[in-house]
Amino acid sequence: MVFEPFEEESDFELLEENLGDPDPAVRRVAVMDLADTADPMAVPLIARAVSDESPEVRLQAAIALGEFDGLETATALCQAMQDGDNRVARAASDSLSELKDPEAAPPLLTLTSHEDPKVREGALLGLKQLRRPDALANGIEAMKDPVAAVRIQAVGVVGYLKAEEALPALISCCRDGDPDVRKTAVGALAFSKSSHARDALFAALEDENWAVREIAAEVLGRFPLGDNAQRLIGLLDDSYWQVRVKAVRSLGKLKVTAAIDRIGSQLDEVTSNLRKEAAAALGEIADPAALPYLEKLVDDPDPDVRKNVRWALGQIG
Amino acid sequence: MPLANTPTSVPVVVDEDKCIADKGCTVCVDVCPLDVLRISDLTGKAYMKYDECWYCMPCEADCPTNAVTVNIPYLLR
Amino acid sequence: MLERLEKGMDDLRAGLNEVDCDLLVIGGGTAGPMAAYRARKKNPNAKVILLEKANVKRSGAISMGMDGLNNAVIPGHSTPEQYTKEITIANDGICDQAAVYKYAQECYSIIEELDQFGIRFQKDDNGEYDVKKVHHIGTYVLPMPNGDTVKKALYRQLRRARVLISNRYMATRLLTGKSGRAAGAIAVNTRSGEFLVIKAKAVIMCTGAAGRLGLPTSGYMYGTYENPTNSGEGYAMAYHAGAKLANLECFQINPLIKDYNGPACAYVAGPFGGYTANSKNERFIECDYWSGQMMQEFFNELQSGKGPVYLKLNHLHKDTADHIEHILHTVERPSRGRFHEQRGTKYSEQMIEMHISEIGFCSGHSASGVYVDEFARTTVPGLYAAGDMASVPHNYMLGAFTNGAIAGEHAIDFAADVDFEEFDGAAVGIEQERVLAPTKREDGIPPNQIEYKVRRLVNDYLQPPKVTAKYELCQARLAEVREDMEERMMVRDAHELMRSMEVASILDCADMAAHASLYRKESRWGLYHWRTDYPDSSDEEWKCHVLLSKQDGKMACEKKAVQPYIIPIADDEKDAYYKQRITAQA
Repeated sequence: MVFEPFEEESDFELLEENLGDPDPAVRRVAVMDLADTADPMAVPLIARAVSDESPEVRLQAAIALGEFDGLETATALCQAMQDGDNRVARAASDSLSELKDPEAAPPLLTLTSHEDPKVREGALLGLKQLRRPDALANGIEAMKDPVAAVRIQAVGVVGYLKAEEALPALISCCRDGDPDVRKTAVGALAFSKSSHARDALFAALEDENWAVREIAAEVLGRFPLGDNAQRLIGLLDDSYWQVRVKAVRSLGKLKVTAAIDRIGSQLDEVTSNLRKEAAAALGEIADPAALPYLEKLVDDPDPDVRKNVRWALGQIG
Repeated sequence: MPLANTPTSVPVVVDEDKCIADKGCTVCVDVCPLDVLRISDLTGKAYMKYDECWYCMPCEADCPTNAVTVNIPYLLR
Repeated sequence: MLERLEKGMDDLRAGLNEVDCDLLVIGGGTAGPMAAYRARKKNPNAKVILLEKANVKRSGAISMGMDGLNNAVIPGHSTPEQYTKEITIANDGICDQAAVYKYAQECYSIIEELDQFGIRFQKDDNGEYDVKKVHHIGTYVLPMPNGDTVKKALYRQLRRARVLISNRYMATRLLTGKSGRAAGAIAVNTRSGEFLVIKAKAVIMCTGAAGRLGLPTSGYMYGTYENPTNSGEGYAMAYHAGAKLANLECFQINPLIKDYNGPACAYVAGPFGGYTANSKNERFIECDYWSGQMMQEFFNELQSGKGPVYLKLNHLHKDTADHIEHILHTVERPSRGRFHEQRGTKYSEQMIEMHISEIGFCSGHSASGVYVDEFARTTVPGLYAAGDMASVPHNYMLGAFTNGAIAGEHAIDFAADVDFEEFDGAAVGIEQERVLAPTKREDGIPPNQIEYKVRRLVNDYLQPPKVTAKYELCQARLAEVREDMEERMMVRDAHELMRSMEVASILDCADMAAHASLYRKESRWGLYHWRTDYPDSSDEEWKCHVLLSKQDGKMACEKKAVQPYIIPIADDEKDAYYKQRITAQA
């Protein structure tokens, strides 16, 4: 016999036999072995284990299916996501989020209005990665879901599809009662160049939650602001310096000359991150009016601030 | 043979009630990059045979029954 | 598949088998799987063996995954030209740009391929890659929220591509033919001591860094910065096969979390506003690049009254600090969370004490490696190298994937055009005798003690600052230890036999580190090659590579000119960065 020091070929017959063993631990090991084969032939066998009487075996099956893709995998995972045991349902939802194959979508589309919010959330999370245009309607519908976690995933589905026709729905989510929904919706507006999106972003600059204001300030850096720049400049009074950093960055990127004095005032900040970004922004705007502010900071104790100041002075020339 | 046994407190501990190595599971032994775990001939359960641990955690993360705990080696704590 | 364990595992058994293949890939960590996978994709009829001393599922530097890419060249964010320039400058100009440029051009397609494998990179709310800007020079950081699944995803692809995976075999020597071409390798089973001779038309080495060269400050031998399984076999095997090794004097030294010895990942915290600070809460790093200069600044600060050095996140909003903590504690080195918890350290409240690592060889973070060109070819025909052990500088995880892919595709074409190379059959017997010698002794010194001594000497004498007199002392001490290793080392089982072979590699690497460092009579790359007897850089004499190789059974070094730049670096560009530093010091 030829010596073959390699990982053995999969013995599906034996694994199938072990899957019927009276000992749940043996069945569990069989499921792990099946996952390791990485062979699509294993999927129907693992799918069978999703209905096993032992929750441990079902859990292992839900994890194992994360190694595979396609319609059959998705169907089994959708069943596992409705499992009475929470651990099994959660593992199935995690595995669903690993799907890549658009063919896996049909069973997920039927679950976005399931009675259990965890199932709705998992189905939407899975759909997000698949980017199927026919999921748009499900996404828009789910944006009205009573549960915030579901709405976040719904916004995700719609945001990934970057569909202009979904803008009104996305914009209304920017006024959602839940800050995490608002944050995701504001971030998802980045793809649009419409004035409606821009107005929604301006409104988000006044959000009560700092993280929403932060992302709005960041996303606005991609929009030509024109006469509306004043509203972003106003954010330099924000009580959170992390929000002010994003505003400074966007104002620099957009080369808003009118912001020079207000950015200059940020250079007195204790937080050196802000001084650093303010110096860089003044360099990007590259207007001699910024010189007095920059010259003050040539000897800043923070080397990153000094570097940006030198760079900015170079930009102004 | 003049070799002494120097005791060390091993970082990886296995809960023998949860371990299913006696049912054919060898996950933790397989995945250790330093190959320091073994299954005991006496108990049929996994244990740390060699104290050569990078506290990297695949043994704990991949254990199907959460039987394995990786502690930070005492000298580093 | 789960490996079935046998009774009497680790018991030494006699055995010698032989297999052959078109392509042998040694090392199943990061570069190796990608090399084997791409070779099979390019030539589905080829027989490709992937040899791994542990198990491919979780072996190598990224056994627990990775939290992000820090050298991702993504269109719209940075260009291959810009990246090549920066790496050239970070290496003080000693850089063959062809390989760096090739990497920079190819790496985006690798990111997309990994994404298809199921390794998700962070995307924004519109599903675009969420590249983080670190500083105004370049944008290369791309987080990986499920980076813990990297190895699983790779393993899946290997199974599907029907790569022949051979776990638990440790290669100890390469076989070369009469013409000097690579002919295969000799390997030993790490659980039985049985030998395997693999004849191959081409060989790719992907055995990772020499991470067990220095001793960590904790004194725990396996508490290293690198995965300690990466003990430098590739460097040693390449040396004994006659390949040339480049710039070994450019040591790897990294910033890390003190005692835990894991990376502090300032590049993860950077985009959120975290940074490295001294005890006065101030930044002190002037250097723009991860380089020896940066490590020199780090070292100086530690030695000054302004140390210790910290990772500072406690000025960030608690949500932000907690978020960073969550990333750092789930991927790459997840036991970090446990370490901090035990000490009661919260990132949002306290600064985290940092330190510098023990020395090592690793091109992933510096430039020391087996010399390769832009096709991952070493100086031995038919022998390739990729990942942390190959000389492409600063290539990190994405470089291992990319250069692994390049090596796999080139090597499988090479193999298609050649026949098996004849090799001297006596080489196998000689190697068996060398490897098994410690098993024949009834009494002696165990490998762990020999290893400790070598690594303690490395710390005492080879760690920078490099002092000629100390280096010469070290060489004498290492020669004594070598004699002990060859004449007195003893092992009791197959596991110890594996460790004894690792010790031999570690000792070879220590000797190479000393030899190459003494040859370059100047200081360069900041802390990496700081020679107190030659404190200045001399571009006229030393702006070149140093290649080390085995000549007539002995270590020898030679100079090799840097290849003409593909991407020219204007003097004022060099100066722009240089002046920034000078002004800052004034």
